[in-house]
This record gives sequence, C-alpha cells and structure tokens, in this order.
Amino acid sequence: MADTNMAGGGVSAPRDAVALYETHRAALRASKRVWNILALAAFAVCLGLSVWISQFYPERLASGVPRIFEYFGTIIPDLEWSNLFAGRTEEGRAVPGSLTYWYTDFWTYAALIWETILMAITATLIGAAVAFVLSFPAASNLAPNSWVYILSRRFLELCRGIPEILLALVFVFMIGIGPLAGVIAIAIHTAGALGKLFSEVNENASARPIDGITAVGGTWMQKMVYAVVPQVAPNFFSYAMLRFEINVRASSIIGFVGAGGIGQELNRVISFYSDDRVLAVLILVVMTVTVIDLISERIRIGYIGRENFS
Amino acid sequence: MQRPRFVVPGRPVADHRPGTAHSYKRIMWGAEMLKLEKLTRRFGDNIAVNAANLEIPDGQMVGIIGKSGAGKSTLLRLLNRLIDPSDGQILFGDADIAALKGNDLRKWRSDCAMIFQQFNLVGRLDVVTNVLTGRLHDLPTWRAMAQIFTPRERAFAIQALDRLGMAHTATQRAETLSGGQQQRVAIARALAQEPRILLADEPIASLDPMNAKIVMDALRDINRNDGITVICNLHTLDTARQYCDRIIGMLDGRIVFDGTPDLLTTDMAREIYGADAGDFNEAATSTALSATKPARAVRVSA
Amino acid sequence: MSIAALSGVTDADIAAARQSQPDAFTTPAGMVRKWTPLAIAVVYVFASMWYFDFARLLDASDRVLSLLYNFVVWRDMDTWAYRQIYVGISQTLAMAFLGTFLGTLGALGVGFLAARNVMPFAAVRQIVRRILDVLRGIDQLVWGLVFVRAVGLGPLAGVLAIFVSDLGTLSKLYAEAIENIDRKQVEGVRSTGAGPIAVIRYGFLPQVLPVFISQSLYFLESNTRSATILGIVGAGGIGMIIIERFRASLYDQVAFVVLNVLVLIFAIDWLSKRIRLWLIGAKHDG
Repeated sequence: MADTNMAGGGVSAPRDAVALYETHRAALRASKRVWNILALAAFAVCLGLSVWISQFYPERLASGVPRIFEYFGTIIPDLEWSNLFAGRTEEGRAVPGSLTYWYTDFWTYAALIWETILMAITATLIGAAVAFVLSFPAASNLAPNSWVYILSRRFLELCRGIPEILLALVFVFMIGIGPLAGVIAIAIHTAGALGKLFSEVNENASARPIDGITAVGGTWMQKMVYAVVPQVAPNFFSYAMLRFEINVRASSIIGFVGAGGIGQELNRVISFYSDDRVLAVLILVVMTVTVIDLISERIRIGYIGRENFS
Repeated sequence: MQRPRFVVPGRPVADHRPGTAHSYKRIMWGAEMLKLEKLTRRFGDNIAVNAANLEIPDGQMVGIIGKSGAGKSTLLRLLNRLIDPSDGQILFGDADIAALKGNDLRKWRSDCAMIFQQFNLVGRLDVVTNVLTGRLHDLPTWRAMAQIFTPRERAFAIQALDRLGMAHTATQRAETLSGGQQQRVAIARALAQEPRILLADEPIASLDPMNAKIVMDALRDINRNDGITVICNLHTLDTARQYCDRIIGMLDGRIVFDGTPDLLTTDMAREIYGADAGDFNEAATSTALSATKPARAVRVSA
Repeated sequence: MSIAALSGVTDADIAAARQSQPDAFTTPAGMVRKWTPLAIAVVYVFASMWYFDFARLLDASDRVLSLLYNFVVWRDMDTWAYRQIYVGISQTLAMAFLGTFLGTLGALGVGFLAARNVMPFAAVRQIVRRILDVLRGIDQLVWGLVFVRAVGLGPLAGVLAIFVSDLGTLSKLYAEAIENIDRKQVEGVRSTGAGPIAVIRYGFLPQVLPVFISQSLYFLESNTRSATILGIVGAGGIGMIIIERFRASLYDQVAFVVLNVLVLIFAIDWLSKRIRLWLIGAKHDG
C-alpha cells in the first residue's frame, strides 16, 4: 500500500491524502476481491469439469476403493514364520510360505535389474557426452556464431521435449523389442535435459579466464578446454550423477513398452498375475533405486569434497 | 642487444577493408615500430578511443595514464585485438593488425602478450599449466586438446616462473595464490608466449604496494633485458614516472600528452586527471612504497 | 637470466627444472591417472554398445525411413476421429488437474504429520515418512499399471496414480516448508491462547501457503507431461489414443496427436507461470 500512499500524499494537503488513501485502499480491496472471486470461480469450474471428464464420481470411487484394497491384499505374500528360511526340498521344490518360494524367480529378476543398471549407465554416458559437446555452442556467451547457437539449442529442446517412453515406443518399432531401444530413448532424453543444464552452467562461467586464453592467441576449442571446462567440470559431474539416478528410474519402467530392463518383467507380472510376484518385483525395484541413490550421493559428495567445491 | 627469435610466417592476409588499393599484404613480423593511425573505437554514442595517433618503437617502456574511463583499457584491448577498432589502423611494420583474421590474428595475439588487472588466470588449473597456456599457439591441435606438453616446454615454463620467483608454486592451483602471486604467474604466462610486445592493463591496481613494486620491477626487467616493448596502463603518476621511458596521457579518449616523464609538468598532470583535482599532488596518486604516507595512498580515480 | 626463448632451453635446463619441480612434469603414473577414467568410460561405452547390439541400428534404416515418411505425410485427414483425440486431451488435462488437486489436499494433512515442529510424536512422524518414501520410490507409471489392475482401464486409474505419487512427493516438500518457517510468528499466535488448529491456521498457513501453491503449480506442469504417458499403460488420457493408433500403424495420426500434446504442454507451462506470478505478486503487495 506504500505506493498508493505516496501517490496521494505527494501533491495534496495531508487531510486529502488520508481520504485519497482510504478511497484507493477501498478500490484496491474491491478490485482484489473481484479478482479473487473470479479466480475461485474459475478454479471451481475447472474442478467440476475435471470431475466430469475423468468420471471421478463418488459411486465409481466407492466401488473402486475396496477393489484397490482387495488388490493390495492379493499381492501380499503368504509367508509362514516356521518355513520362512526353509531351503528347497530334495526334489528341488520350494516350500510354500518360505522366502525361496516367494522369490522363486529371483535370479531372473536380478539379471534384469543388472541389465536395467547397465542401460542407465550407458544411456547416461552417451547422453552426457552429446550434452557436453553441444553445451558450448548452446551457451549464449560461448557460441562462436548465432547459427550454431540456435541450431544446437533447438536440437537440445527437441531431444528433451518428447517423453522417453514415447521415444522408446518408436524405437521398439524401428529396431525391435529389447534394451537397445530403451538405451537410445533414454540417451536422447538425457542429452536434451543435461545439455540444457550444462549450457546454463557454461553461461555462468567467469569470462576472465576466457579473456586470458583469447589474449594468448587461443582458438575457440582451446578457450573451451583451458578456460571453461576447468570451471564447469564439478557442476557437470554432479548434474550427470543426478541424471544417472533419474535414468535408473526411467530404465526400470521403460520396459513397459518392450524396451528392456526390469520394467518388462514388472509389466508382465502386474498385467498377467495378481499374486505375490508383483510385490516381489516392486520391492526389488524400490531397493535398487534407493541403493543407487545412496551410492551416487556418496560419489558426488566424495568428488565435490576432493575438488574443494562448495 | 640481442633480439628474441621470431617466426616470420609470410602468410598473405586478405584485406577486405574498403579503400585499400591492394587486397593482399605481407605481414612483416620483423618490423621495428608499432604505429596507430587515427585509431577509434565507439561504444554506441560513446567514443572510448578517439582518433589516437601513436608511434611506439621497439624496446620502449611506455606508461599510459589517465582517469578511469579515459580509454586506456580500450586502447590496450584494441592493440591485442580483444576488441575490434571502429576506425583507423594499427600498423606493425607494413602489416595492418586491425585487419588480421583467424590464424594470423591468433599469431598476433601470441606475439603481443597481455596481462590484466584481475590476472585472468584459470583458477582451477595448476600454475604451471596456466603458464603453459602461453604456448598454445605453437601446439598441434591434438596436443593442445589433450593438454600434453613436452619436457622442454615445461622446463621453459618453470624457468619463466622462476624468473618471477614463483617456481615453488608450480603445482598449486592458481586460485590458491594471493593477488600479487597470481599477477606474477600471469607475467610468467606472458613470457612463455615469447612475445614481442607486452601489454599490461592496470597490472598493479588490485595489488598492495609491496606486490606492486615486485610486479613493476619485473616488467622493467623484462623490458630492459629482453628488449620486449612494454605498454602499461597505470593509475598512478609516480609509478609511471619511476618506471617508464615515455608517458602517454589520455583524457576522454584522446591522447593529450606524449613525452618523457620530465616533460610531464604538474599542470599537465592536473589536466589529465581532471580539473577537479585542485589540491592535486603526486603523492595522492601513489601506490608505491616510496610515497610519504603509504598507508593513506589513494588512487586518484578509484 | 637473459633472454628467454623456448629454443634456448637446453637439456641441462630441463634436467635442472625437473629436479627442482619434479611434480610439474608428467610421469607415466601421472598419465595413467589422468587418462584412466576416460579410457574406462570409452571402453565401457563400446563394450555396452556391443552388449546392447547397437549394430541393429544399421539394419533398421529402411524402417526408420518409412516411419519418418509416415510421420510427415498425413493422409485421409477427414477420417481421423478428432473428437476422440480432443476428448483424450481434455481427459489428460482433467487427470492432471484432479490428481494434483487431490494430492495437494492430502499433502496438506500429511505434510503437517511429517513435520518435526508440528508432530510431537517421533514414531508417527517416522512411520508417515517411511510410507511417503515408498509412495515416492515407486514410479507414477507403475502406480498407473497397478491401479489399472485394481479399478480397470480409464482415467480413474490415472487420477489415482497421480494422486498417490504426488502425495508422496508433495507431502515431503510441504513438511520441509513447514519445518523451515519462522518460529516467532507461531509463538505470537500461541501466546494469545489459541488452540492447535488456530495455531496452524494463523501461525503456519500464512507463511507456508505461497510455497505450497507454487509447488503445486509446478506439479501441475509436470503432471500434465506425465498424464500424457500414463495412457500407455491404460490409465486414460491421450496416451491411450497414442498407443492405440501407434499399434494400428496410423503413424501420421500419432504425429498429429504428439504435436497437439506438445502445444498443450507449452500452453500449460505458460499459464502456470502466469498464475504463479499473479499469486506471488498479489501476496507481496497485499
């Protein structure tokens, strides 16, 4: 309200200023109230439309919610304490109620999780390499000319614009079912997402070392390698590690469209069975993601600590 | 005095500037004189350097003085071609420096080393690598990209550091050094370029008097012993008097004084530093140790 | 020392420099240390390219070309069932909006339960936080798949999937916002003898509400993106149409739908930015 006060008090006598202030205030409050009511009405309309379009009606919900709990009931494993750690019988059968029985396909899952992690590493490395190369022409302060700048920016936007899983769908069609489609889809998305972050880091790099290398007669490439890369490397590294964590998640679900990894198995057990296998795979996926996050965090902090980077 | 060895590339350079009679010129790196002809640089409506004419023979130590914004920095950046002139010529021998492009421009920059007020080292690289960047113009591309330097180049860099008394810091990161140390490393980097000319843009403005003296002594030593032309922007009049063979005064982009230090009268100095300095005295522009009250040393235009 | 020139550096000079500053010279061990990480990365990438059979890309070129051709050349545009497409798009929007709204409502309650300065019982807080971790740890698409199994195909499953994963993330963010508030204002309200609900209403909400709203708006943006792909597992919205038409080899229609979705996402981003500015601006001069 300070500005209204000043606008009134600047020219007129004190008493007028108070009156003016009061009228201004009242007008402002009234217009604000109108806006608030309008916004609330718009919100209510949106909410009503959303409920209607997605048919989110109480009776549907009432019939759906019990089924949700029913479903979660079916995927809980039937564990018996007495048999929990029982091994296989002499015929090679697992005892019902034991962990071995629950995780009959453990080694299949483990192999798929291993594949998932490999997919994430490969996609992160390839995507980060492309992002690294393009982040210099895509930084407004470093681009050698505006053509290269615009082209590399647009290319990176294109790469991150399309959701990974849609890209994976297309690649599965092109090169067939398997992890390759997933790796390529995630790598493309990673290139786009990291390219944007990297180029923002580059734009914040100090110009002084760049001037220094220009003054010794350095080429554009030499300026990048000697003056920019040493400044930005720690940030690049932590962004790439964060992206790796995201990519582990992405590669664990990209199998839904047939693009490899544990997602393929997850999709299969959820779609075709309603039993404890669903929970078995889900637990493994959540554990993998958590462990990878912890490791990656340790590496990140270790590296940054070593580089005295704060 | 023996001159440093210089490469004569003899590469013809396209000169597309209008009004030149011949389209190719041969660069004469063996030239004896740096010559500015009506050199002008505008930033929008502001004329930072206004029709500067100068002749600087090889081996001189030149100090450029003037207020902040007088155009000193712009003039030096024009010489190194960090910025392009709006008008006029920079001649080195017969070569038109203002028209150089690409590889020839980089070769000129490497022959015309520059040190900066803020040192412009790469803070996260170690000192010896910073000095070795002075060799970049001579390196094959793959070696420059992979940061591979020969033992000879490394020994040369360490010699250059040793000359500035900085060899012991060779493996430290540049950002861990003090300002004065960083400026000495920057001078070592300039030396590693084997330059013909050394431009120094306010080399001591960010330093304490002690380090300022070390840096200025080093510049004079390089000028005297290596025969390298030193052109140095200075805020302080007494430093210029003490170290330079020749002083150039700039005011509002124009060169208003050009002569030996003893020709620079107090009246002249007052004009260069502006009319408001009614109680002008040289000690007030001093950062040197010899000033009467070093603790109160103030830069006139800070 | 006299004139310095690289050509003037003798072998004796090199030896002397090496002796005074041995670490400034490269050693075989130093080179190994410098290049090993890059070498490992390169070897790994090539090995994994072999493992994942990147060579298959070469065989796929004719399919790639035909797919690109079909993406670009649009045929029989009058038979495209536009109504279905735009119903799908509005369904996607509705799912994102409703899911975010419910998630926000839920997080308003749960966030306070998980905040250290509101919830005095550490046990409750810990249990709530662990449950939130699980909700967050499972991807939204997996939730979608699970809810499709539980309540059947359609947008209801999508709304529930967005709600559950938003509940996990938003509650955590809200709890953090609540923990970071200025204590003095709360104590001011408490000193008037207000009950716990009044303390939350007058002490906490004015401080955290702007943060809550802007975070929920960010989630609306990201949920619009994710709601487009939830349909791929059958949880309603435009994704179902994309995958149906893709499976039916109607690639030109897929390209058209994806373009529409990109425009929609762009529009939502723009709108949400405007709303955020308006709300936060209003908060500041009010």
